[in-house]
Formats: sequence, C-alpha cells, structure tokens
Amino acid sequence: MHIPDGYLSPASCAVMYAAATPFWYRASRKVKRVLTARMVPLIALFAAFSFVIMMFNIPLPGGTTGHAVGSTLVAIILGPWAAVIAISVALAIQALFFGDGGVLAFGANCFNMAVVMPFVGYYIYHWISGRSELTSLRRPIGAAVAGYVALTIAALFTAVELGLQPYLFRAADGTPLYAPYGLSVAIPAMMGPHLLVASVVEALVTGSIISYLQRVNQPLLMLTTELPAEARERAVASPRARILWVGLAILILLAPLGLLAPGTAWGEWGGEELRELGLGFIPEGLERLGGIWPAPIPDYEVPGLNANLGYILSAVVGIVLVSLVTWLVSRIVVRQSTKI
Amino acid sequence: MKMRKEPIFELERVSFTYDGKVTALREVSLAVAAREKIALLGANGSGKSTLLMILAGLYFPALGQVRAFGNALTEEAFKDESFAFSFRRKVGLLFQDPDVQLFSPTVWDEVAFAPLQLGLDQEEVVSRVEEALRLLRIESLRDRAPHRLSEGEKKKVAIASILSLHPEVWLLDEPTAGLDPRTESWFLDFICQLNEVGHTVITATHDLDAVDLIADRIYVLSEENRLIAQGTRQEILSDRELLLRCNLTHEHRHRHERLEHAHPHRHPERHIHPHE
Amino acid sequence: MRARRGFIERSIADITATLEKAIFSEELARKEGLLQNLDPRMKVITFLALLLAVSLSQGLLIIVALYFLTLLLAWRSRIPLGFFIKRVWLFMPFFTGMVALPALFNIFTPGEPIVTLWQTERFHLAITIQGLRTATFLVLRVGVSVSLALLSVLTTPWATLLKALHILRLPQVFILILGMAYRYAFLLLHTANSMFLARQSRTVGQMPGGENRRWIAASASTLLAKSYHLSQEVYLAMLSRGFRGEAQMLDTFRLKPSDWLWGATLLALALLAVLM
Ligand SMILES: Nc1ncnc2c1ncn2[C@@H]1O[C@H](COP(=O)(O)OP(=O)(O)O)[C@@H](O)[C@H]1O
Ligand SMILES: [Mg+2]
Repeated sequence: MHIPDGYLSPASCAVMYAAATPFWYRASRKVKRVLTARMVPLIALFAAFSFVIMMFNIPLPGGTTGHAVGSTLVAIILGPWAAVIAISVALAIQALFFGDGGVLAFGANCFNMAVVMPFVGYYIYHWISGRSELTSLRRPIGAAVAGYVALTIAALFTAVELGLQPYLFRAADGTPLYAPYGLSVAIPAMMGPHLLVASVVEALVTGSIISYLQRVNQPLLMLTTELPAEARERAVASPRARILWVGLAILILLAPLGLLAPGTAWGEWGGEELRELGLGFIPEGLERLGGIWPAPIPDYEVPGLNANLGYILSAVVGIVLVSLVTWLVSRIVVRQSTKI
Repeated sequence: MKMRKEPIFELERVSFTYDGKVTALREVSLAVAAREKIALLGANGSGKSTLLMILAGLYFPALGQVRAFGNALTEEAFKDESFAFSFRRKVGLLFQDPDVQLFSPTVWDEVAFAPLQLGLDQEEVVSRVEEALRLLRIESLRDRAPHRLSEGEKKKVAIASILSLHPEVWLLDEPTAGLDPRTESWFLDFICQLNEVGHTVITATHDLDAVDLIADRIYVLSEENRLIAQGTRQEILSDRELLLRCNLTHEHRHRHERLEHAHPHRHPERHIHPHE
Repeated sequence: MRARRGFIERSIADITATLEKAIFSEELARKEGLLQNLDPRMKVITFLALLLAVSLSQGLLIIVALYFLTLLLAWRSRIPLGFFIKRVWLFMPFFTGMVALPALFNIFTPGEPIVTLWQTERFHLAITIQGLRTATFLVLRVGVSVSLALLSVLTTPWATLLKALHILRLPQVFILILGMAYRYAFLLLHTANSMFLARQSRTVGQMPGGENRRWIAASASTLLAKSYHLSQEVYLAMLSRGFRGEAQMLDTFRLKPSDWLWGATLLALALLAVLM
C-alpha cells in the first residue's frame, strides 16, 4: 500500500503531489483558522496513533495477518480535514524512518491514504450511521463498513496509479521503466489481498474501537459534532469556500486522468510538456497513449494485455473512478451546503 | 502577613466540575496579592491542580467569579488578543506532569518556545534561552530530546521553559515531586530567590517540609475539595488537628528543627511504631 | 495458535527495535562527517535532486553509479557501511523483490527471450531481456532511493531536519505536528509495550483468536483515550506559554562556502546523471 520510490515515474509523482497539495493547503488553513489551536496536539497524537496502528500486525482467522491504516477511524473522530494532516504526518514518519513509502511517491501515498481514504470513510460512516444515537449499533457497523470500503478504494487508487505506469513509460525496446504490470495485473494483485485481508483488518479495527468507545469514552465520539460544527458553518458559508470546493472537485476528477498527463515515452520529454503539466493536457495524453502502445510489443499472443484491451480497461477504470469521485464530491458539496 | 495592596488573583465562591460529574472544587474563595509567597496545601485529589489551572486561565469555572489583574478571567476575555497576550506573558505555570509540558523536539526548542510565541526578536530569544539553561545548569542537555531525559532533568527543563518566559507570577504544581534531595533543596532556594526579587509564587504541594520554606501564607484544601483553612505558615503548620483531618500528616510524623533537616525526612524500615 | 500470539509480540518488539535504531541514528547524526557538516537545507535540496535523478535516469549503469556515490557519501560521513548496506538490502527483497520477480517472464513482460524455461506448442515460458531490465530497474531504483533517504535521515538530527523542511514551504503547523507526532509515537509505544507486558503477566496459556482480537481493540481504544486526555493537557501547556495556533521557529542556519561547494557538486552530479 505504501508505494516506494521507483514504482512511479517522476511525472506521476508530480501529478500526485499536485493532487494532494490543495487538500494539504485547505487542511492546514482549516486547522489554523477554524478548527482552533486546540486541534494541534490532538492531530499530532492521532498521527502518532495511526503510525503505531500501521505497525500493529493483527492476527486474522486463517493464520494470516494484515495491518490497518486508521484513516477512517481518525476521520470519524477528528473529522476528515484533520485526518488529512494526521495521516500525512504518520506517512511522513514512516517514509523517513522506515523507508516505508518513498519521498517522491509521498504525494501519491498521501493522496491514497490521507485524502481519498479519510473522506470516503468519513462520508460512508455518516451515511450509514446517520443521526442515530451515540450508542446505536449503526455506528460501529457504519465504521466497520466505512473502514472496509475506504481502504479498498484507496487500494484501487494505488493499483490504478501503479497499473498505468507501463502504458506510459517505456524504453525504446519496450522495457517498462517503472512499475512493470499493467492494469489487468495490478488491479487484481492489489485488490485481492485488500478485499480479503487488509480491508478486513481495517474494518475490524475501526468498528471495534468505535464500539469500545461507545461503551467507555463517548466524549471522544462527540468531537466532530462539537468542533467542526462551528468549523463547517464558517468554512462553507462563504462563497469563496464554495469555489474552492468546485476547484477541488475538478482536481479530484482530473487526478486519475492526470496520470496520463505526460503521456510520452521518456525520450520525448521536452520543456513544452513539462510546462503543460497544468490542466490542458488530457486529450493529448490520451492520444499519445494510443500512439505509443502497439509499437514495442513484439508478440502479444502470450497471455497478457493486448493493446485494445489495455486501452478499454483503463478507460473503464477511469470512468468508474470518475463517477465514483463525482458521486462523492457531490455528496460532500450537497451535505455542506445543506448545513448552512 | 504582607499588606494586600495590589490584588493579582481574586476568587469568589468558585466551583469546578469535570464533565459535569467529578467535582474538583467547591465554593473556593481566595485572594493573592503581588509579591506574595503562597502555598496551596491539600491531599491528592483535593483540587490543587485544578485550582492552579483556573488561576492560569486554562480552565474556566461554571460557578463563581475569577478576577486577575483587575479583569474578569473568562473564556470570553481571552478572545481579546491583547489581553490574552499580556496575561500569558505575566503568568507561568509549571505542570505537575513534565511530560505534558515538554513537547518540542529538543531542550533548546522547548526553552525557546515561549519567547518565540511572544514574538521577541532572535537575539532576545537566544539570550533568554541561554540564560535559562545556564541558571538551571542544563546547558549540556541543549540538543537532547526532552522526552528521553530523566525525571529530574525533565523537571529542570520544564522550569527553564517557564523561566525564559520571564513571568511575574509563578504557579508551581508539586514542583519538588520526583526530584532528588539535592535538586529539591536547590529548587526550594530558587523559589525563595524568585520571591525575593519580586515575583509572586503560588505553589501547590502536600509536602509539609517544603511548605515551611516556600510559603508565607497557606491555603488548605480538604479532601472534600473545600477551602477549609487559611493563615500564616506558623498558624497552619502548628495546627496538627487540621493537618490530620486533611490527610496531610499522620500520627507518627516527627517534626524536626528546620535548620538541621532542610530536606524531607523519610522513615527507614526499622523505624516502627506500635499502632493502635 | 503459537504464531498468533507471536505476531503482536513481534510487532511490538520490531517497533521498539526500530525506534531504538532511530536513537542510534541520532548518534550517527552527531558524528563529525561530510554530510553531518552540510547545511541541512542544502542537504534536503541536493538529496531531492539525487532522488529525482535516480527516478529519471534511464540507464541502469547510471543508477548503479549513483548508488556508489551514495556509498561514498556514507563512507565520508562515517556511517558503518555494513550496517548501511544491510539495512537497505535486507528488507528490500521481501517486497520489491517479490514484486519484481514475475516481471522477468514473458507472461508479464513480453519481449525477446533470453532463457527459455518451458516450451510446448501452446505454452512458452521464458525470461525476456525486457523483463530482466524492468525488474532490475525496479529493484535498483527502490534500493538506491531508500539508501538516499536513509542517508539523509541518518546524518541529520531529527530536530534539524524538521527545521530544514521549512524551506520546502511546508506550512509551519505541519512541521510542528510532525515533531510532536514523532514524540508521541514514543509515548504511545511505551504505553502499548507496558500494556502488553501487563497482559502477558496475567495470562496463563494461550488466548483464543477472538479474545485476542477483542483485547487488541480494547487496548487500542485505551491507548486512544489516553492520547486524547494527554493531548488536551499538552494543548493547555502550549497555550499557557503563549501558543496562538501558529508555530514560530527560529532560523539559525548559516550557509558556509563549503556548503555551496558540496551543494553545487552534488547538484551537478544529479544533473549529469539525468542528462547522460
Ligand atoms: N481531567 C480530569 N477529568 C476528570 N476528573 C478529573 C480530571 N482532573 C482531575 N480530576 C478529578 O478532580 C479532583 C481534583 O483533582 P486535582 O485538581 O488534580 O487534585 P490534586 O492536584 O490536589 O491532586 C480529583 O477527584 C480528580 O480525580
Ligand atoms: Mg495535582
């Protein structure tokens, strides 16, 4: 789940940094302005907590193990924006001290685990738990489901980022320069263990901690209703904030497609394209994807991807991702605006 | 007892509960003037720490009035930046648990935290930090991580981190707990010196020997979280019945002449008394 | 059953050991050596450039050359080479090696076969040149990148590294939180460790899996509750020392001529590696 350096091309890393940056920016503004300074040590502690939780291997029925990320849990307790910072910090410590996750790939890892995951987890939890009682069974169940889905979706994002690499970055003789497996391999290879193991652990951890807190420490569960209540009001009420939301929505939409951005073989990289890392590149990137694909494959009778299949698959995945993200963002925007 | 000319703190019938359940203070009223040397005496759980937190403007009681430097001390008052700024600059609190107070990556950063927050310029920050490190003789710890120090060292760093703030009012929560005898007696001296140069010092403790040195006036909190006595050091310390009632001493405690025993007396195992 | 219990045990032991290594690395960071003397901001920039070079370069030999540069730097910084090499390459095979292995074969990486392993009419299994190259790329890139990151962390005290991150325009609040989180990770692990030991001393025989999971959930929640309480206190401690939501930091770095020299040299090497 933690992508090391070397799996993603520098261009993809840059795109992923670009995708994560507005979230970091917004999150740090929120902490400064709205969430009150009280959040600072709290976020630090939850970052440490997530860091520790990422290192706890949990026994699973059947003798295997997996570890949780804790993003959903932190998002449920502190709210998604604080979770963005907390999990990013946990990932930074992991990257620096454990070599777990790369420095260049830090943006990608944060996007998957510190942005996608807490937001998905948070909204699924609230969708399921609704306005139920603090002690209602819907809460731990909602938390478990949210944890399961959130980690799975984060894994899907990771798989897509990795799986797109061989289509985009190949040497002249067809050697993939970074992660070597296409989407048809990367997606099942990532999703299998997550669907069966890691996400189960995340669900267990998230659900059982929430259920335990219901019994022994309810104030912890009420933090988001206390703190961001005032936070939401002020943050969402201003029209400027809504513009930012729309901007973010567009960015999220573009993030998966953005991977295609510098869709050129390595040798053709020029100043032009570097400058065009902005927003106007997508059709061009897709076009190039079609262009470079067939050439370097000498015999594709061997089981594996063929050109059209790869193209269709990536398109399908792209569409699924985009609709999913649109749905999520619309939920966010709708929720926020009804709260005003 | 000194004349009470400039009141710094005035509390009127202050009650405080945690989460609406645990009562930590019941109807406490007190007044502290500038340059006083005061002890809050009470057994564990009597509400000393809570009272200091209120004096430091960190907890706000739902019932009763708190005034500091002539202003009401409320959560609302702290929303005024200039009030918050001047209050925080004047009042320093040494927390009971140094682990709470030490959060910076190095000792140096820890001691520099307060002056930096005050917005002092670089040179002033550096000179204050160096001064504090020198006074506490912890220059050699400057690059160490505070959480990896010994308990006594932590306490010293915590003290230095308040010293660099240059507060007028010192609130000390069990400052001698966990210190070795030498450091302890050094610190008690230090508190007296602070007071002599014009600082107000309020110390929470249940250590009767320490109180003897660091207080002119004493407030006593009962185990029921009420203020049940106040008076001069002599008045309070000679009232054995009161001290017994508040669980601050026991039947077998021996008082020694201060000059000969400047540090707490511990009962060795052999020192056995018949119990009734 | 045995294995199950071993997992938690091993996790905690692993984590504690790794953190001990972090302490060990602080020691390396305080040695006199090439990288230790390099200005930390310059170090951050040059190492990012080198990482980028490793990532951008299309020549396997160039990446190998960059690895030797890393070893040279480690040697000049008095880092025990055996430890440095082992720490990177011992843990690598588990993940990247396993990931890279299938890519050798024509099933995953079509191309010109160099070694045919299995050939029937319908099925052909071979290692391809492309597969060999892509697997080597992956393993080398990951290994050299991890080496570079490790090298910079080993030669920079944590607190200095935090300050150097400043120049990357990270919001101050991130850096503050990063520093505090690192410190709390220690505290949480200590607590986790003692909870585990406490349980171990109370458990006779093996715990069934379900009970084990419940125990983990309960202790994780206890950990969380303790964290929450502590963070509230820490917040108050910060507040009482003037914290207003924004961290202030002191910039005490000065660039020496040798910093410029080394910075320029390393940047030039990185650029060369990309252009070649
Ligand atoms: N954060 C807290 N939450 C709930 N109860 C608390 C908290 N802190 C202190 N208390 C309770 O308040 C009472 C007074 O505590 P405290 O002021 O710490 O006493 P002292 O410092 O004299 O030992 C005690 O009964 C204690 O259990
Ligand atoms: Mg106390």
